[in-house]
Amino acid sequence: MLALLARRVLHIAATVVLVALLIFALMHFLPGDPVLMLLGDRASDESIARMRHEMGLDRTMLEQFWEFLWHMATFRFGDSVTMRVPVVSLIKERLPVTIMLTSMAMVLAVLIAAPLAFIAALRQGGWADAVIRVISQVSLSMPVFYIGLVLLITLAAGLRLFPVGGIGDGFFENLYYLFLPSLTLALSLSAILLRNLRESLIDVLHADYVGFATAKGLARRTVLTRHVLRNACISTVTLLGLHVGSLIGGAVITESVFAIPGVGRLMIDSIYSRDYAVVQSLTMVIAILVSLVFLVFDAVLAMLDPRVSA
Amino acid sequence: MKLRSKGMLLAALGLLCASQTWAANRGGTLVFARQVDSQFLDPTQTAQNADIWISLNLYDTLLLASADGKSTEPGLALATKVSDDGKSITFTMRPGIKFADGSPIAVSDVKWSLDRARVKETGGEFAFLLSSIASVETKGEDSVIVQMKHRDPTILQALATFNSGIMPEKLFMAAPGDTMLAKAKAFAEHPIGSGPFVMTSWKRNAEMVMTRNPYYWKPAADGKPLPYLDSVKFLIIPDDATRMLKLKAGEVDITEFVPYSRVTELKADPKLNMVLFPAAQVNYFALNTRPTLKDGTKNPLNDVRVRQALNYATDKEAIIQVVSYGAGTPQKSFMPMSTPLAFGEGPLYPYDVAKAKKLLADAGFASGFEITCMALAGSADDAAKLSALQQMWSQVGVKLKIEQLEAATRLARYNAADFQMRTSLWTNDINDPNEITSIIAYYPTRQSARTGWQDKRVDELFEISQEELNPEKRAAQYREIQQRYAEAAPIIFAMEVPYPVAMQKKVKDFVQIPLGNNIFIDTYLDK
Repeated sequence: MLALLARRVLHIAATVVLVALLIFALMHFLPGDPVLMLLGDRASDESIARMRHEMGLDRTMLEQFWEFLWHMATFRFGDSVTMRVPVVSLIKERLPVTIMLTSMAMVLAVLIAAPLAFIAALRQGGWADAVIRVISQVSLSMPVFYIGLVLLITLAAGLRLFPVGGIGDGFFENLYYLFLPSLTLALSLSAILLRNLRESLIDVLHADYVGFATAKGLARRTVLTRHVLRNACISTVTLLGLHVGSLIGGAVITESVFAIPGVGRLMIDSIYSRDYAVVQSLTMVIAILVSLVFLVFDAVLAMLDPRVSA
Repeated sequence: MKLRSKGMLLAALGLLCASQTWAANRGGTLVFARQVDSQFLDPTQTAQNADIWISLNLYDTLLLASADGKSTEPGLALATKVSDDGKSITFTMRPGIKFADGSPIAVSDVKWSLDRARVKETGGEFAFLLSSIASVETKGEDSVIVQMKHRDPTILQALATFNSGIMPEKLFMAAPGDTMLAKAKAFAEHPIGSGPFVMTSWKRNAEMVMTRNPYYWKPAADGKPLPYLDSVKFLIIPDDATRMLKLKAGEVDITEFVPYSRVTELKADPKLNMVLFPAAQVNYFALNTRPTLKDGTKNPLNDVRVRQALNYATDKEAIIQVVSYGAGTPQKSFMPMSTPLAFGEGPLYPYDVAKAKKLLADAGFASGFEITCMALAGSADDAAKLSALQQMWSQVGVKLKIEQLEAATRLARYNAADFQMRTSLWTNDINDPNEITSIIAYYPTRQSARTGWQDKRVDELFEISQEELNPEKRAAQYREIQQRYAEAAPIIFAMEVPYPVAMQKKVKDFVQIPLGNNIFIDTYLDK
């Protein structure tokens, strides 16, 4: 177990360095210039040149890259070019929002997927199974921004059950405001989880050891929780872990539709304005976070399935 | 007798209405949904509309632009005296004026603010508006004397423009930082200004709150101080659909940038007030008029006849319908018609396919040619405009290719003159024709907005007009500039469009002036 963790930490370090290289190259080879975005299309060539110099953009790419690496290694993220505040304060302000949004989405996805998968698997081929499968198919095929708008129009603007966007003040208001957006994010993920869990439940239900356990005279509930669920959820937990990244991707869209000030929106705004410092730092932070989440999932899997740590 | 009593009744009604405006409700928070957030709240260090458009609420100016934009009114300065030769202007400051923290606005603050705003190194992109100032002096406790290098017909309007906002020298200089720019950054985080409101909280790209400045000098009609509102809360909601939903759900009071396609629907909503504020804004297509393009190919747009032909081949009314659902008007000059000295006898280049064909044939392009236009990826407006244009121009054999680019790439290519045609939008920042002319028609600034078009006579006229104090002569110079520009057609003239703003019925007296500035000083919420 410890060896596994050590190996994983090394992996993370390598990943982060690779991500740093990639994001630097991507941002700098992308056409477009942060100075122009900042000064607009009325700026004189003279002030463009002055600003480029102030921002250090007139130095060679290599010099800029070394500086970037050095800054990252010493946790100096610099200032946002467009917003002119330290990147750290921006990330500090917004990261908790996105973490809350994606965590709520994960919890919701599991809460939706697990019971439905059980019902579908236990009544395999029945009408309940059919209905659940159709619903999951539909929610899987709808784009996130569309689901978001439909929920906004019906539940928020129409029935006034929820506010239209924003995050509110204080923890409980945050929970309330973030419910619809996290539901939006959760729906397609829950469909993926549902289908996977249903399949593995059916497989496990038909496995010899389950038949054996039942034959031994174990109570149905014990069989289901101890043997079926534990074995069936291994692949689903793996899947859930793998989807953390795409949840953050989905957050970019959800945060825009629901006017949520999280890192997803910060990322997209900063890419558009070529705010190198923000994009680079944020990518690093997200890469580290996602890697850490993978680590947690690996640990959970190792506990669920002793074969993993081997 | 009957008539007289009717008249008296009307007069009484008029009085009633007048007294109603006095009975403006005080207090409350106005919630305003914005499309984009501000970036930098320093009046001199920005060129972004999102900063400029709220700047006057935070920083007051010596003079204020009149409602019609054609003249100025007293602001922080009570009286203005221009010397006979136009080379010295004396301002007498209003007594007892204070910054939002209660400290007095001294003449030294005025001098410092104007000195900072007028030099290139510290004054940012708009320093040129004040470049005719030679020095700013103070006399006694209440006089500020502006000495001019030369006579400048626009100086008074420039002193009513956002970048001349008066700032507290001591607080600014006390802000942490080694350079002026660093200090500006630190100061602009929590700026203390001289305007009717002061910014009290700001979560970037999420929300900003401005509360009323209790020390603001201007009294309302009832004698009590303005502004009426306790605070204005800006929510940043980039998504158009969400912004409209938020308004319809009653969670916001005002929303800017209503998509034109939604204007009719919102007009019909009994709870809302859908307003199209006249805007000093033009929508056009910029052309690259250089003989060859960046990749070395020959550019048909170098020929004035081709540019005129394309203008004739453009059905402006159709574009107005497609993009603004009828809210726009065809361009009569390169500058918006609300600009002082704008000249235009009628819509330029009325739709005429036969004329277009003839001009193209004369230029040797009877069988047409291909042209590529840069469009902003994801912009519904650009897509609508250009597909309409594609269809219109196909009638004269011109094949329009659309190149979708995101904003940063498009701007970089445009700035390097690496384009053939692009969609363009211009909004005036000052009530004078000199800003737009210096950028769009005057070659030395930036090759006539990167079109590469140059008319030496226009350049000369512009330079003369910059020192012309005689209003008739200046108007004549501008008339000639606009006529010559229209004739040469370095752009495809399209339309002027208003600012679409929707608000709850209870919101009264909010204005967005033609320059785009959002003015909350007289705004109140009806009970």
